[in-house]
Amino acid sequence: MLNARALKIFLMSTALLLVVVCLSFARTDHKEYRDAAPEDCRDCHSGSGVMENHGAFFMNEHRLLAEKASGNCADCHAQSFCLDCHNGGGLAPDLRKSLSRRGEYMPRTHRSDFISIHPLKAADNPRNCYRCHESSFCSDCHNRQTQRNRAGMSFKRFDAQSNHIPVFDSPGVLNSGWVAFHSGEAKRNLQSCQACHPQKGDCTNFLCHPNLRGR
Amino acid sequence: MTKLDKAGKINVYGYGRVIKQTSTSFEDRPELADDTFGRLYYFYLDYKDVVKDHLDAKAGRTYISSAAVSGTIDGLHLNVRNLGPVGVTLFGGRNVLFDNKSETGTGGDAIAGASVYLDTIKSTHIEASYGRKYTDSDLARENVGLDFSTTPLDIVNIYGKLQYDTVSDRVGEFLLGAKAAPLKSLLVRGEYFQSRPTFDKFSFYNFFNVNNYKEFSFAAEYQLTREYRVSGRYAREDFGGDSTANVYDVGLLARPIKDLTLNASYEKRDGFAGQLSGVRFNGTYRVAKAAISAGVDYDDFRRELSREGNARKYWAGVDYELNKMFSAVVRVEDNTNFAFNHSYQGFAAVNISY
Repeated sequence: MLNARALKIFLMSTALLLVVVCLSFARTDHKEYRDAAPEDCRDCHSGSGVMENHGAFFMNEHRLLAEKASGNCADCHAQSFCLDCHNGGGLAPDLRKSLSRRGEYMPRTHRSDFISIHPLKAADNPRNCYRCHESSFCSDCHNRQTQRNRAGMSFKRFDAQSNHIPVFDSPGVLNSGWVAFHSGEAKRNLQSCQACHPQKGDCTNFLCHPNLRGR
Repeated sequence: MTKLDKAGKINVYGYGRVIKQTSTSFEDRPELADDTFGRLYYFYLDYKDVVKDHLDAKAGRTYISSAAVSGTIDGLHLNVRNLGPVGVTLFGGRNVLFDNKSETGTGGDAIAGASVYLDTIKSTHIEASYGRKYTDSDLARENVGLDFSTTPLDIVNIYGKLQYDTVSDRVGEFLLGAKAAPLKSLLVRGEYFQSRPTFDKFSFYNFFNVNNYKEFSFAAEYQLTREYRVSGRYAREDFGGDSTANVYDVGLLARPIKDLTLNASYEKRDGFAGQLSGVRFNGTYRVAKAAISAGVDYDDFRRELSREGNARKYWAGVDYELNKMFSAVVRVEDNTNFAFNHSYQGFAAVNISY
């Protein structure tokens, strides 16, 4: 059923493309501009119908351009330019970038002392982390730290006495305040739960959600 | 290896690293010290115009990217161009997953997909894509992606993206934005973005109904003169309920004299998850064959209900071009932060280009 739905959406999208009447347009090869200064792009692009890019916020913008099947990133950049940030590496020297402890380049979005700051940046748009990291990247580290009971890995507190481990008013009866806290946190950023609990079995109180499927 | 044929249509590109860690400080992770690690980032045959003006092919380990799915594959990527008004891409292969410095993916991890795109209308690109990810031979993800970009007026560009997760049966990601150049030296951009966490098919997280993350942002950059550019961005982040955050960025790029480039930026974030105020200064000066760079980062942060403090990072480096084939890079850094009074790091590299 899922496949049928996906196929339907795909075919409808394709049909949409085909009904559009087209004019001839050739992509411009940019290889000869590879060494041009970005501010020189304006000379051609201003009023050309193709907005210039590589500006101050290109870090935010580049994804849509890179996803285009007919994009021209490769006119100037090798794949290493992408992978240096997305998968580590370090082929192109960018001296502004620090190295991770594993010797990989870290994108400049990873500000100084990123271990301390990363919960803030991960909250901004939780998907940002997953564009480069597998979910195991989070859970592997969080699990190690939790097992060592490190002070810096203390959980968010629900109140002064308890942390996010379930609070029971009486045997089998959960504290309503804890329930509200728990569901609120999960709704806001469910992916952060996955950082420590990648598997269903990691949660010791799954009696609360008996009908949940999956692993 | 490039230009394997006379016309230069067939090339082979590769990039990999082998690392031997010499430090013995691994915090209870001896596995990091015991082995030599390696990663092959990409290694593929790139064949342009397999069928003249109609087919490009990449075979081997290569990075693929589409609105529906992206990743590194050991496989094949075909770009069939000029099928009337549209083009088609097809891709598939083993999904290459990296962990630490090695690969963790198995033969059952795979990516497959296709896209149909139209960019024969001047200044308009429309693309529909479909992608699947398999984990241990189980279908883990199935996405449909749509993206478009059009410039109906010379000074206005409208763009958007939608990613639909058929496993979770929900829109995982939606983006709609507009960019305008009301003046030759001024660019402004407004965006609305929303996402909902989606998970692999076998994950129990799939079955929770969770809030959308929403973000409205506005950005502008102005080229004061050829030597100076200023920029600013504001984003309002909405995490559901009463949880919101405001993010501000301002920046200055300056080239006051020939061969000197200076950057300064300030970021402030306040709201859900905590506060952050950070400034960055860095500059690069070219002297003959050397590019000398240095910078300072300062961040002050307050994480919600946990750690707080500040971090200072000072770094400097030189990139020296010995000749067309050889260049050398040296970089040193000192980081004073929550965990360390001084955390030093440095590297030296010789690059060979041929």
